Amino acid sequence: MIAVTIKAGGLLTDYLRPDADAYSRRVEARDGETLRQILEAIGVPPGHVAVATANGGKIALDYAPRDGDEITLLPPVQGG
Amino acid sequence: MVPGFGGSTLRIDLSGGTVTRAPLDPAFARAWLGGRGYVDKIVYDEVPRDADPLGPENRLVVTPGVFSGHFAPSGSKCCFGAVSPLTNGAGDSTVGGHFGPELKFAGYDLLVFEGIATTPTYLFIDDDRVELRDAAAYWGHGTMDAERMLKEDLGEDVEIACIGPAGENLVSFACIGHDYGRQAGRCGIGAVMGSKRLKAIVVRGTKALPVHDLPALKASTMEIMKRTAQHPNMAPWQKYGTAMFIGWSNEHGVYPAHNFQTTYFERHPGIDGQTLVDRLLVSHKACFGCWMNCGKYSRASLPGREAVYVEGPEYETGALCGGNCGFDQIEQVAYVNWLFDRAGIDTMTGGGMAAFAMECYEKGLITRDRLEGHEMRWGSIEDLEHFVDMLVERRGIGDAFARGYASAAAQIGGGAERLACQVKGQGMSGYDGRPAPGMLLSYMTADIGAHHNRSWTITMDEDLGKNVLTGKAKVVVHLQHIRPFFDTVSCCRLFWGEVDVSDEEHIAAIRMMTGWHDLTLEEILLLSERVWNINRAHYLERNGGPGRRFDYPNARFYEEEVPTGPSQGARLTLEDLDLMLDEYYAARGWGKDGNPSREVLLDLGLDTCVANLEREGLLGTLTEPLPPVRGERYKPKAF
Repeated sequence: MIAVTIKAGGLLTDYLRPDADAYSRRVEARDGETLRQILEAIGVPPGHVAVATANGGKIALDYAPRDGDEITLLPPVQGG
Repeated sequence: MVPGFGGSTLRIDLSGGTVTRAPLDPAFARAWLGGRGYVDKIVYDEVPRDADPLGPENRLVVTPGVFSGHFAPSGSKCCFGAVSPLTNGAGDSTVGGHFGPELKFAGYDLLVFEGIATTPTYLFIDDDRVELRDAAAYWGHGTMDAERMLKEDLGEDVEIACIGPAGENLVSFACIGHDYGRQAGRCGIGAVMGSKRLKAIVVRGTKALPVHDLPALKASTMEIMKRTAQHPNMAPWQKYGTAMFIGWSNEHGVYPAHNFQTTYFERHPGIDGQTLVDRLLVSHKACFGCWMNCGKYSRASLPGREAVYVEGPEYETGALCGGNCGFDQIEQVAYVNWLFDRAGIDTMTGGGMAAFAMECYEKGLITRDRLEGHEMRWGSIEDLEHFVDMLVERRGIGDAFARGYASAAAQIGGGAERLACQVKGQGMSGYDGRPAPGMLLSYMTADIGAHHNRSWTITMDEDLGKNVLTGKAKVVVHLQHIRPFFDTVSCCRLFWGEVDVSDEEHIAAIRMMTGWHDLTLEEILLLSERVWNINRAHYLERNGGPGRRFDYPNARFYEEEVPTGPSQGARLTLEDLDLMLDEYYAARGWGKDGNPSREVLLDLGLDTCVANLEREGLLGTLTEPLPPVRGERYKPKAF
């Protein structure tokens, strides 16, 4: 198992149900599991994630997080 | 004098060469707040209904709202407005940067230009010193060059809003440039400025802005700064800006490709925000008082051409000048961005118009002989450069495009109007509404035509269902009230939309700036609704009725299904659009014909609109009781 921190703001916060600092949730996952699978497992609709980053760099939803990663999820822009 | 404001207004009669100063009327300030509120009230009251938008009777209104210049979440904006030559209705467009704050520091909340100068002119404001000056030396120069020349002549510490050759030549979608790459882009306000032979407004302001409760405002803003700095969205916004969403809108099949023929551009990774940051980024760039710095200052170099510097490309430019024109390299998109910026053309309608021409060429509706021997191929920089020249210099078919979509379609013939992706003459923003009916309804009903900033619903469309038509209109109405609020008070919407600074926090900040302790969100929403109805009345008074006939996009959006990509098969019919319009008009308290009813106008205190519409036979008839509150908040489904 690995542990990652997932952060999300805006409308994604409700789905994430954070357990720390209003934005963050620590999640355990199987090694090799993709971010999409992790999000589906914890009830965050991947379709609502516009951009994801791991430790500051942009990633795709098929990225397999590593132990200790800090993942940030962005909802779609509110029409920039 | 009202704290929070500059305190003075200027009336500039360009025909007579006179400038009249007056104090800001506190009652007017409270009633309309600034920005879009001032613009739409003034053009409704002052511009004759038969006046040519490019004639002397139109007004050019320049106004930073109450937020502008304050230490508060991004009080950076300035609103430019007039009767739009593109839509023939009230039009406004805001620009960030530093121009609005500088006007406030010079002591001004409102500039109203009328008439036409006999020769090219610019307005120079140096605190209390206000002069109309000869602009012959700058006329004909692109926006960035003109700005640089003016700064060389007047000092680096001035802020400038100016037009380029497109505005001078009255291209109906000309913009106003500021700070080497920001624009008040939409509605063709740059053409109105050009029609008045006003090349630029230059301002230097050195005064302090009075604040009702500065300690409270400082404390509140510091708290917001600390909180938003930790917000998960902040770092990606700082790093990538709006361009990071190009991938998402493709993956969700709402991205415009090849003139909205489809909603997925398979080569989008070449123009995404990541590519921009990797290949073009010179530095991040922020507006006045902003710690998000979402602007990306970029350098792009194409073979055989000089390297260009541009702010962006932002998402909308990356959509409408990217896949929509078949460009798949970020350097190409940045170069097209620069071409339009230099000429002083809105990249959104400019990109939309170029894509329209490209599809007409693809389908044989325009041939080489009408393009002076050139082609208009998807993804061709050479062809696009030549097209922009024809537009700006108004040569041949370029003149028809410069007049707008209807004029171009009429001149091209062969059913070209189907390919003109617009509502009310305003080119569509960079999202396709077929897989997102709420978004299409937003375009159809926006007062300035198919622009996304009034209402953006794609998340709701995802949430409630991409095929669901009903239940969305009330939300569109609410968004059309809350989102223009930010353009009224002249602050950036991103802090509200992206990092969870609430609308109540924005209103609390206004209370601290002004001392208006009784200001509420309800009052703000009512003001927004009042402005919305004034603009609808204004549109009908200028264009006739019924209003419903203006509220449809081109036939592509209700007769063609999306052919490829994640939204393949998405399709709406005319009946679908009518169903959504029926629900929308009922939610607004308008008649089924799309005309505002006496009841809603009186409820909003708009007696003058009632009288004007009644005289023209344009009042709508309610078929169900007036909703006591128009619009409904939307919160995504709870988990």
